[in-house]
Amino acid sequence: MTASRLDAAVTAGMAVTVEGVSFAYEGGADSVSALDDVSVDLPAGSSTALLGATGAGKTTLLQVVRGLDPPAAGRVLLDGVGPGEARYAALQREVGLVFQRPERQLFAATARDDVAFGPRALGWPEEEVAAAVAAAMEQVGLPPGEYGGRHPYSLSGGEQRRLALAGVLALRPRLLLLDEPFVSLDPASRESLLEVLDHLSSGGVTLLLATHDVDLAWRLCERLVVLREGRVALAGPWDLTPAGQRLLAENRLRPPFLAGLWQRLGRDPAAAPRTLAEAAEALA
Amino acid sequence: MRATVGQYWPGRSPLHRLDPRTKFVAVSGLTVALFVRDSFASLAVFAAAAALAYALSGVPASWSWRAFKPLLWLVALTVVAQLLVAPGEPFLTVWFLHVSWQGLETAAFLTLRLFVLVLAGSVLTLTTPPVALTDGLAWLGRPLRRLGLPTDELALMVTIALRFIPTLLAELEAIMRAQRARGAEFGRGGPLRRARALVPVLVPLFVLSFRRADQLALAMEARCYTPGQPRTRLHPLRAGRADAVALLVTAAVIALALWAGW
Repeated sequence: MTASRLDAAVTAGMAVTVEGVSFAYEGGADSVSALDDVSVDLPAGSSTALLGATGAGKTTLLQVVRGLDPPAAGRVLLDGVGPGEARYAALQREVGLVFQRPERQLFAATARDDVAFGPRALGWPEEEVAAAVAAAMEQVGLPPGEYGGRHPYSLSGGEQRRLALAGVLALRPRLLLLDEPFVSLDPASRESLLEVLDHLSSGGVTLLLATHDVDLAWRLCERLVVLREGRVALAGPWDLTPAGQRLLAENRLRPPFLAGLWQRLGRDPAAAPRTLAEAAEALA
Repeated sequence: MRATVGQYWPGRSPLHRLDPRTKFVAVSGLTVALFVRDSFASLAVFAAAAALAYALSGVPASWSWRAFKPLLWLVALTVVAQLLVAPGEPFLTVWFLHVSWQGLETAAFLTLRLFVLVLAGSVLTLTTPPVALTDGLAWLGRPLRRLGLPTDELALMVTIALRFIPTLLAELEAIMRAQRARGAEFGRGGPLRRARALVPVLVPLFVLSFRRADQLALAMEARCYTPGQPRTRLHPLRAGRADAVALLVTAAVIALALWAGW
């Protein structure tokens, strides 16, 4: 076994620079512009929430960063390496993209085989595949001993989604792009997915999380990017000063619940806790 | 991704406004008549009529290429076969191949006939939305109901199938992207490897399709769809004077062509 990949409990996150990217969906005469001169910086190991109304370009941006859609203008630098450079393809393979409703991609007869799909497709040696699969399933809270042999379709919706996430994690991404990962999950499943992502983030993986949920964004991400009609409307660390809140409101976003609560309590909303547990502790 | 289903060309030409039943009957009549005579004169009449109809439809001429393109292999095969096997005085001999004027003539005739056939058919599909075509066919098939054939249900099935082709294509695209994002490669390697690469795409596609079909059936039942019940239509088929004229013109063309090929 090669130690380098397997013992990577702490991952060196990937830094991403999106430089002036534009993208349009071709529809014959009526092509639709989805991204218009978008520039975004994701420092290595950071976690960023990608917010914006439906159709603002969130999904497109994720797909462009992963390299599924070549931008019409601009470029995406991964760890400072640009397209055309020799290492670029290898770096792209270290970008994990979790699609909307990723459980729809499950196809194999067993959970284990489904998670192993990616590593096998890349031709990893079988023992390394097995180790990566076991680690990824463990990471998402589906221990391989219990779940490995089960049919993916026999799992619950939340378990299926975490299994699909494991399929991406098995490739040991250093940057994880997630497209609305919490959509239509029940509260318990949301909570366990949150824990998985929290864990990944503190393990060093760079996160970019497209979501509509400001509270989840507040809990998981220290930065945010707001897209509006394909342009960056707001980017950087959370700003919950009165001026910052006005900017959020202009983009039809409310401040996170806990920040609002802190404000009502006469405390500094910018110093609001990220989780209920932290809030309880601060208030006790 | 954009898919042309059928090949309907939205427009407002006189042909677009005809009843789909009229167009179907006319094209069927022409198709049958096309095979009655083996003469260039009769073929020329049909070709002129089909070209005129195409021009009348207002569809750009370049679009006919889409209909013709898939034919090229068939045409090539026909020509080669005719050149090889046709009897007659050879005017050119290459090794054991004898090419005769007669073979050349037959090949040209068959090719031309094929093109006229496809041109007439594409006028029908270019000027008729698939759903209208299905409705028209269902009406024409009505006598078969007496034999217990559920024609209306069949028409609905076809309509639903057509409606969901773009949806399925979009889904296919999304699944392929998702699998590619986790290392899948499509269109590489030998045929076996290519076929196997499709498993991670087809399994989810089928599962989703069945689920969608189930939901659609439930939703239709929830809105009181009852198979076998007579249904009313939002856009009832209505044949008018233009349809009568169109059928008369078609009959005239057929008569002229048959006479010319006497």
